[in-house]
Amino acid sequence: MKTEQFTIRAEGLKKTYRLGKDSVEAVKGVDLQILPHTIYALLGPNGAGKTTLLSMLTTLIQPTGGVAEVAGFDVTRDPDRIRQRIGVTFQEIVLEDDLTGREILDYHGRLYRMDKQARQRQIDTLLELVELQDASDRIVRTYSGGMKRRLELIRGLITDPEILFLDEPTLGLDPQNRANLWSYIRNLRDEKGLTLLLTTHYMDEAEALADRVGIIDQGQLVIQGRPQDLINELGADVINVTGSGDIAPYVQRLREQEFVQGLNAAERLVQIGVDNGNRRLADIVTLAGGNGFHIEDIGIARPTLGDVFLKHTGRQLRDH
Amino acid sequence: MNAALTLWGKHMVKIRRHREEAFGLLLQPVLWVVLFGVGMQAVMGDGYITFMVPGIITLSALSGSIAGGSTLLDERLRGVVKEYLVAPIPRLSVLLGNALSTVSKGLLQALVILLIGVLMGASLRFNLLGWLGGFLLVAAYSMGFAGIALGVASVTDSVGGYHALIFIFNLPMLFASNALFPLARLDEHAPLLNIVARINPTTYVVDGLRQLVFENAYFVPTDQRLPLWLCFTVVGAFATFGVWFALRFFSRSVL
Repeated sequence: MKTEQFTIRAEGLKKTYRLGKDSVEAVKGVDLQILPHTIYALLGPNGAGKTTLLSMLTTLIQPTGGVAEVAGFDVTRDPDRIRQRIGVTFQEIVLEDDLTGREILDYHGRLYRMDKQARQRQIDTLLELVELQDASDRIVRTYSGGMKRRLELIRGLITDPEILFLDEPTLGLDPQNRANLWSYIRNLRDEKGLTLLLTTHYMDEAEALADRVGIIDQGQLVIQGRPQDLINELGADVINVTGSGDIAPYVQRLREQEFVQGLNAAERLVQIGVDNGNRRLADIVTLAGGNGFHIEDIGIARPTLGDVFLKHTGRQLRDH
Repeated sequence: MNAALTLWGKHMVKIRRHREEAFGLLLQPVLWVVLFGVGMQAVMGDGYITFMVPGIITLSALSGSIAGGSTLLDERLRGVVKEYLVAPIPRLSVLLGNALSTVSKGLLQALVILLIGVLMGASLRFNLLGWLGGFLLVAAYSMGFAGIALGVASVTDSVGGYHALIFIFNLPMLFASNALFPLARLDEHAPLLNIVARINPTTYVVDGLRQLVFENAYFVPTDQRLPLWLCFTVVGAFATFGVWFALRFFSRSVL
């Protein structure tokens, strides 16, 4: 059975690992709907279950519950059909560094039974796309981190997949290399019409790249939507107040204000989403007076996906 | 099969790039022939080299096979196996490709030792059928150890542990067999070792090789040849065990 509407669809997808007597629920029932020709980013901290979720969708491991369809095929019943239609890059760099870049791409194409001409054509085009043509006959051990990531990206593309899965594609790269990789990824959606599912724990990456983002924490998809919509829900500006003392009465009073559009409180920090930060600043300072909360620091910021994460999980997403 | 051959081809290219490693693996059996063989020939008398070369061929097939298994271990630890597992290829072709290259390494090493043995004065028989039989024995023996090596490489997460395995097998398999001493002498003077040697598959490969490939390979007069059918049966059973072992542990780790 093929359902066309979504390129990737999951319902109640679960993975439980057994460790002796204990069991660990790495993914606790995730629902996903990903439309064709979009970049979807799974954003969450390390250990949130992103890689496990990706492993199930790429048919590396079997789910322990729920269903998932990729390119219209069921991951447990039709894994080979899925494998013919996807490209995958892994979180760690998986390259045999005693081969040349061109050899790695060529062996990959041979595994997929591509004929020699098709392989050569694809390899040349893709090497040019990521500007690796000059290094292609060098042993991969001599490549920089950014070059290795680019090589992995195009290895996943040799077979002309419909869907590309990228697990933390820019992990360990410097800002310039990250920005480069982002523009290659955008190109793939725009020019080749690919659907891309990537995981990341960088919120700026999800914000810059994704058409839709799903926030995942402790094995659960907490919320999904367009990054800008999620951010806008917090208000036009966010005022961050840090202080000491009893925070509860202060939060209570803030909640009663009409201009407060969103509110997150965590230990010593209150984030207040407002329509206009500059205009509301004075009010917010005044409200803290006389109820046991002492403001130590205050600032206005444009809200980010990190603030969205805080709102829905009650915890901060730390960038590493 | 296409996928298995692709992997095999890739592994063969890689061996050529790692000449130091291949050289190191060959050095040990070469030293056995050149140093130990020559010394022992001086003590034991003429014909000892011809007697021991089949044993050293077998030993190098063994160490070649076990070293070949480390390719799978390396691919697993680096995550390259995952690249294979998301490709539309049968799971078993990953094992088959590794088995092919592992046995190839074992046979390649055996061939080099055969050549060195001949240079050192071992005398060969020229009987095509005998050679074919000898080749089959070494290939099957190699397959048995390749299976054990691949099975262990499928589940272990430690390179050090894996290499300890090579040492556990290497010398005992050589000493507790008829590779260096005639079985008849063992029977008289070391009955316990004789029993161990008779359950060691190495003994059957070595004895089969002596009968099929080498001339006058029994440098002491003996009528204690093992029947050829027994040699083939034991080595065949050992190869089957190796395949079973590899399948069992590979499936557990990957499927």
